[in-house]
Amino acid sequence: MSIKRKLVFAVSLLCLMSVALSAYASTDSVLSRWRKTVKIMDEDNMGFVEFTVTYYSAEYIQALVQKEAKANLWTKDEEENYKYQLLKTLQLERNIPIFIEINNYSPALRMAPFGDQVELWINGKTYSPVDYDKRFNFKLTGKREGFVYFPRYDEETGQPLLTKAKTIKFSIDGGIGPITMGRSSIDFLWDVHRDNPDQFFTGKAAERLELDRLIIRLGNLKEQRDDIQKQLDELDAELARIQSRIDELQSK
Amino acid sequence: MKKLCALLAVVALVAFAAPAFAANPFMDVPMNHWAYDAVGQLAARGIISGYPDGTFKGNQPITRYEMASVTARALAVIDMEKASKQDVEMLKRLVVEFKDELDALGVKVDKIDSRVAVLEENIGGWKFWGELRFDAKFEGEKNLYNDEYTLEGDKEFNLNRFRIWMSKQIDENTKFVARLGTSDSTTKYAPTRWERYYVETKLPYDIKMTAGLWLFDWEGDSGLYIDEDAMFGDYGMKGFWFQKSFGLGDVQAMIGHNDSYSNGADGIFNTADDVNSDYMFYGLRANFNFNEQFRFALNGLMRAYDDLNNRDESVYWADFTFNFNPNIAFKGAYFMEDLDTAYRAGEDSPKAYKAIFDVKQDAFKFTSIWLEYAKFDEGFNVWNANNNGDMYAYDAYGASVLINRNWDETSVLFASLKQQWNDKWATYERYLTADFDTTGVDDATNWTFGVLYYYTPAITFDLAYDKVDWGDSTAAGMRTGDDNIVRLRTHVKF
Repeated sequence: MSIKRKLVFAVSLLCLMSVALSAYASTDSVLSRWRKTVKIMDEDNMGFVEFTVTYYSAEYIQALVQKEAKANLWTKDEEENYKYQLLKTLQLERNIPIFIEINNYSPALRMAPFGDQVELWINGKTYSPVDYDKRFNFKLTGKREGFVYFPRYDEETGQPLLTKAKTIKFSIDGGIGPITMGRSSIDFLWDVHRDNPDQFFTGKAAERLELDRLIIRLGNLKEQRDDIQKQLDELDAELARIQSRIDELQSK
Repeated sequence: MKKLCALLAVVALVAFAAPAFAANPFMDVPMNHWAYDAVGQLAARGIISGYPDGTFKGNQPITRYEMASVTARALAVIDMEKASKQDVEMLKRLVVEFKDELDALGVKVDKIDSRVAVLEENIGGWKFWGELRFDAKFEGEKNLYNDEYTLEGDKEFNLNRFRIWMSKQIDENTKFVARLGTSDSTTKYAPTRWERYYVETKLPYDIKMTAGLWLFDWEGDSGLYIDEDAMFGDYGMKGFWFQKSFGLGDVQAMIGHNDSYSNGADGIFNTADDVNSDYMFYGLRANFNFNEQFRFALNGLMRAYDDLNNRDESVYWADFTFNFNPNIAFKGAYFMEDLDTAYRAGEDSPKAYKAIFDVKQDAFKFTSIWLEYAKFDEGFNVWNANNNGDMYAYDAYGASVLINRNWDETSVLFASLKQQWNDKWATYERYLTADFDTTGVDDATNWTFGVLYYYTPAITFDLAYDKVDWGDSTAAGMRTGDDNIVRLRTHVKF
């Protein structure tokens, strides 16, 4: 290769790197950082399947809310209302939501049961979904999108799974269609330790969510109390009947 | 029209459960209308209802809400046990189409989904896929260099590829996969073969084992090539493949055997050396993601020939990916070979490397970019030669830029761009130049320009122009001049 050609190649690389770094520093990078795409082409570069997967970090949600608020000229109340509805949809208080967009121009994807095709790796352990959009179970050509939810807390200990996690990995099985067969898996990684959920869960929306949670908790406790009260009443009645019978027998 | 089609779909769904004749309750549906019985059957099953004035108004367009309502009622009355496969498929399509409206009506899609899953399991649990590629090719020169573009003449209409995939989940941990197909465009009536057959099963300690004839492609796993330009992977291998994941990292091991049959005519292994080419195949790979930005892998492969001494060959390589952001990545790989006998020419331990910038269209909005620079030592020997033993393919359209040039060091600059304008249209451009250090050998170049039309996600048309130029002042015995081809490819997938 001539010196001139090498120079052109090196300059091209430097240009691309500088663009890459400047793009990374832009505002939209907050949104794009948590939104990853894997596009798998077939051998003749015609057919493809594209997976875009979004991890709803606190940073991402915050940026999304701000973007929507700016685009729609919302008041503070409207913004808080949107944030509240979003958080409720995401089920963040108990699940880790991941949004999947699939654009398939290759042979149909057949993913039923979808819950068996995806997993989330946290701290070297793998977790299966607790819920997902059932449309992923149907044969898929073209576009489809939906949520998949993983547990946020350990089932046995109740501890948050993400507490000491640095990088988590979401995997889709390669066996879902011919174009992906032969691959180990289709992976998406996020450095979740760069997120700060505590900073986000403040404000009116967070208070409303907490209020919702407390009201549900209150309802559950009241129900438990009513059950216990009912048992107590039954025991009292039984005691009264026995005492009455004892009195009756002793009086003979 | 939409109303008519949807109505017919629902008719098909419930026809098996409805009485053969039913009185039509709507005053405005004439008895001699072709849909009279169907409307009557649907009304009898409670799936459709008319307007309060007793009319059906069959010529009015239907809204999505009305269609969702009809689908919901069909779901309520349908007896899945008696449904056929076609009924279920149609019902699934309707449910997907009207999912949001059904949700609004309080119909739970997951309930119908579980019933469908049970039914599919009863049908046999098989999944099928297929694809067909058909080419119309027009070459610039007839029979230049022994049909460089793999044509029988200067024009050809031919099957390029036909494949049928099938898969069955045998039990919770085991799956069977097979592929029947042909891809030999140079034969008029190419034979159909089992191109894949394997089982995947989970062993203790969460080790996944694949046994049979499966696709081997570690370069694909690392994202190191596009088109069909893998050097040591992307072909069928018979044997055993073990994978163990540790979350951010995984290790893989495999052992296989290549049976050459007669003169490589099986068409599966694509080996350049056809005589006495039975060999054991060993591989080991360790891949680790340090974080979302950086990935690193070590790979080793060995061929140990059954009958030929002093011909064993090994390759070891390290590759990495650095993601500047989700849309821009820098990748690289460094290869070292150990050849017992340099049976082609040159070094017995040649090396090669490649550096790649992989930019998705989202980064610059108007185009994706694949920019690759590769350098090969003298005698570097790749194992996946797609085109007549070419050193390194780069031959997506048939002509090999690097053919019979690998005597000294070679460097390659390859750029591939693609613009996805919308859901229907895309364009692409490829440029490749190869610089051979051999004295008296010109640089070779390859240009491609193409337009893609996605008629539907399942049917694609590709019109491409490809030109290869080997230069004019090249030594005797090597290719000179240029040639080109226009190719219209029809690709159908299901």
